[in-house]
This record gives sequence, C-alpha cells and structure tokens, in this order.
Amino acid sequence: MSDAQIQGYARALFEIARADGTLDEVEDELFRFARSYEGSEQLRNTLSDDQIPAEKRQAIIEDLLDGKATRTTTQLVSMVVGSGKARDLPAIVDLLVQRASSAKQLDTAEVRTAVALTADQADRLKAALENATGKRLNLKTIVDPSVVGGVVATVGDDVIDDSVRTRIDQLKARL
Amino acid sequence: MIVTQLNLLATGVLQAESVPNDGVGSTSLNPYFAPLKEVVIGGLATLIVFALLWKFAWPAIAKGMSDRTARIQKDLDESAAARKQAETDAAQIRTSLGDVDGERTRLFAEAEAQAAALLEDGRTRLSQEVAEMEAKAEADIAAAAGRGADDLRADIARFSSQAIESSVTSSLDDATQQELIEGFIARVGAGKVVTS
Repeated sequence: MSDAQIQGYARALFEIARADGTLDEVEDELFRFARSYEGSEQLRNTLSDDQIPAEKRQAIIEDLLDGKATRTTTQLVSMVVGSGKARDLPAIVDLLVQRASSAKQLDTAEVRTAVALTADQADRLKAALENATGKRLNLKTIVDPSVVGGVVATVGDDVIDDSVRTRIDQLKARL
Repeated sequence: MIVTQLNLLATGVLQAESVPNDGVGSTSLNPYFAPLKEVVIGGLATLIVFALLWKFAWPAIAKGMSDRTARIQKDLDESAAARKQAETDAAQIRTSLGDVDGERTRLFAEAEAQAAALLEDGRTRLSQEVAEMEAKAEADIAAAAGRGADDLRADIARFSSQAIESSVTSSLDDATQQELIEGFIARVGAGKVVTS
C-alpha cells in the first residue's frame, strides 16, 4: 500500500475515534494491538492471509479484542483487516498516534518493558521523560519480553536504552 | 751371349791363318804367347765388342743401374720418411700419452670439483629445505595453536554468554523487574541517562 493510502487510513481512523470522543483510549488500544500484531508471527500470517475469508478474519479480531478493548477499537481494526490491509496496520496506527499527539501538541514516547508498568509508574516515567527531553509527551507503553528487564524509551529519534537485553548483548560482544 | 759368339768367330779366323788344320784341333806354335795376328785380331775384336757394348749395352746398363740407384734411393728415402713418420707418430703417441695423462688428471680434478660442488650444493639445499620445513612446521603449530585458542575462546564466549543470559534471566524476578524500572525512572528524572 502506498504512503498516501496509509495516511488516508490513519486520518480516517483518527477522525472516527475523535468523533466518537474516545481518541485517547482508542489510540492507546490500537497502539498496543499494533505492537502485539508485530510481535506475533502467527497473528500476522492469519490476519494477512488472503485465502482466509474476510469475515472469518474479522471474527478472529472480534474474538481477540472482545472485552479487552472498546467497541470502536474493535470495529476499526476489523475494518482494516476486512479491507485486506492488515499488513499495513502497524504503519497506519503509528501515523494515527503521531496525528493524535500532534493534535494535542505532544511528542510520542514509546516505552518498552519486560513487565507491564503500573499506572503510577507510567505517570512518573512520563514526567521523568518530559523533564529529561523538555517535551510534552504522549506515552505509549509496550510489554516486550525481548527486553528481558529494564526499560527502553524512544522519544523521536532519541533512544534511552537501559535494558537487560542490551547489557547482555554488550557483555557477549566483549566476550 | 753376343760376346761369346764374337770371340769364337775371331778364334776361328786366327786358327785358320796361323796354324795348319791337321784335323785334330787348333795348335799354337808358341807355348807361351799367342801369334801376333791372333792377338791383334783378338784385340780388335775385343775393342769392337767393347765398343758395341759401350754403344748399345752400356746405356741400358747405365739406365738400369741408374734406375736401380734411384729405386734404392727411393727406398732409402721412403725408409727415412717412414722412420721419420714413425718417429713423429711415436712422438705424437708419447705426446698423446702425456696429454691423456694430463687430461685424465684434469678430468679427475674436474670430477672431484664437480662432486665437491654437488655435495656442497646438496648440503646447502638440504639445509634450506630442513630450515623451511622447520619454519613451516612451527608456523603450522602456531596456526593450529591459534585456531585451537580461537576455538576455545569462542566456546568460552558462547558458553559464558549462555550462562550469563540464563543466570540473569532466572534471577529477574518481579521484584528485580520493578527495581530496574524504578531505577530507570529515577535516573531519567535526575537527568543521569544517556540517549543514543
């Protein structure tokens, strides 16, 4: 899919969520689903398989997100998958998040941890990152077991990597 | 032959004139000297005979003698030449023998020199080959040792990496995870982090 089409889908999702009044929640849920989609080969293969009928793929989406995400989020993801654009879902969601952050005059901060952050930890981490970068941030947290431990925070082009994975890799390289 | 016939003819003439033929044979009247007529005629006949001989026989005799002399001289010359040739050949043979001895000596010396050179060359080449083989063997040993050391280091690094990852992963309980997260938040808040 071309960049223009991806931007078109992102703008459409953004406008629907904003019109629905659930932009923050939908944005966050879409971001988490996109990361899960990236991290699961089985999910990618299933949702992007054109041999599987669109209705069945949409049923899988609804089954996965039922009770775990808002109805708007479920419908938006189902729409993208049903239109055969599942491969571009992460890119569409990233643009949506950027657009949402821009609308709130915020920069996106992506934080990866091996275990889920508590709400308090997320708030304090957001404040710390805003203090360190001097920017107002839209914090997006991702549970990524490959981090092993610690935190990897990405704000724009800046990466703050304090993960156990990186330390192990550095130690391996020295060995 | 001719001389004998002429003498017999002259004797017959004299006998007929000075001594009567008694039918028994020729008989001289003087027992010591022949009759003068017989001497003269005999002398003339002799002179004639000698003249004829000088006129007709002598050139042939002289030629024969000359030819014989020449032949003898030729034989002598040939003998002298043969002797000279023999002496020359003998000298050449002696010289050749001397040359053979010298050549043999030279060949022996040259062969010995070549053998010595070959021996020295062989020793040098052998020494070089031995040195090269030793150097190659040392290099091979060093390379093998290096490879062994590299393999060992790689194995150690791999096992160490696995051990480290396994040890770290197993030690990361929830409390440790929270501690790492809190530590990160504290360092970021204090501005003690480095971005990349």
